[in-house]
Amino acid sequence: MKSNNAEIYKETFISSLSIDQKNFSEDLKYNEIEEWDSIGHMTLIAALEEKFSISIDTDDIVDFSSFKKGKEILKKYKIPF
Amino acid sequence: MPIHSSLLKKPRLVKKLKDFYEYVKYNDGKVGTKTRGIDLNFNNACNLRCKYCFTNSPKGDHVKEYLDYDAIARLADEADELGYFEFDLQGGELLLQPKKLFKVLEAIKPERFYLYLTTNGYYLDEKMANRLAEAQVSRVSVSIDSMDEKIHDEIRGRKDSWRRAMEGLKHVQKAGIDPYLNITVGHYNAHTDHLKQLLDYSKDQKYKTLLNVAVPAGMWQKAEDIICDDKDRQYLRKIRKEYKNLVRNIWNPFDRSYEGILGCTTVNRLYITPIGDVLVCPYVHIKIGNIFKQSLKEIVDYGFKIKHFRNHSDLCLAGEDKSFIRKYMTKSGQSIFKPAEAKDIFSKEDLIN
Repeated sequence: MKSNNAEIYKETFISSLSIDQKNFSEDLKYNEIEEWDSIGHMTLIAALEEKFSISIDTDDIVDFSSFKKGKEILKKYKIPF
Repeated sequence: MPIHSSLLKKPRLVKKLKDFYEYVKYNDGKVGTKTRGIDLNFNNACNLRCKYCFTNSPKGDHVKEYLDYDAIARLADEADELGYFEFDLQGGELLLQPKKLFKVLEAIKPERFYLYLTTNGYYLDEKMANRLAEAQVSRVSVSIDSMDEKIHDEIRGRKDSWRRAMEGLKHVQKAGIDPYLNITVGHYNAHTDHLKQLLDYSKDQKYKTLLNVAVPAGMWQKAEDIICDDKDRQYLRKIRKEYKNLVRNIWNPFDRSYEGILGCTTVNRLYITPIGDVLVCPYVHIKIGNIFKQSLKEIVDYGFKIKHFRNHSDLCLAGEDKSFIRKYMTKSGQSIFKPAEAKDIFSKEDLIN
């Protein structure tokens, strides 16, 4: 289940931001690639909410500044990795 | 330099943007009556003489009038309360009077909005771009007419305007602000190499490209031949998918299949003139109120009572809907300062019950 969540997280990330696989890296940060801009950010948040059936608070949306940070935030919502 | 303009430094904006996203999602991808943006022209003076200016600035129309700071602060507070999350400052030319501009920014409190400037870029040097970033400006849009310097300068009525605008966009990007290259697309250029070269350049530079369809208003009033036809629109749909960095206010920005239409955003995006008149959008010169006489909420409620602005339209009313244009945008002398009054031109049948 844990490894599955990691896979779902990564897939949701790539598909909601429409990132080319070759441009993806686990070190990715907000605004570092053109796809992850303000509009992309909201699309990503919404996709994660839907995928994991959670509602992410505004403070956490603001803190969601990188792929890695996003994982930490999701753990707060009882999504194990 | 820290990027102050980042969305992640603006929690109030995040909250409003999320509300907007959810509204659109549950409204079948359509904007409906959700508040989106304020386009503010606090002064109409400009240093260029563009042939197609929609505010008649080259004619010197009302260039000495300013919307006062207290009124702007009140407007921004009311807009924030109503959920408006975008604030677009335009002119005239904003960077002609930087002291006034920064006072206006202070009055608006940019930390609450996705705040952006639409400028011709003539005075947009590195120092100015950094000052704008410090002031939490999120985006700067610069209008470019052609990759051919001579054509751009000819349209803009001033030499060197192309070079300075192009440099300006680079400074914006370096300062950490979202750079937008604005292009006006009409029947006269939709299928030309001029347009393609601009689109390619913007994409290569990693800018966003804002497409504004040519509108028969202001200096172009009654120029129906500029309006995009079905073939032109089909081409716009095609390049939307191809380039992926294109933005049109009528398109759903959240739709990653690059097909969804949000709908015409009259009233969702209001236009405020230097004398406080509220028009339904920058290009439809129809007045629905004045900020010195009514609250913004009263004005918005009235605007959405008018069916043309409440009902969904796949077409931009000002730039694509010929029947709307002929009926409501061709009154002689109609301009941002002499708008048609909604109460005079719409009858009971035009209003919802």
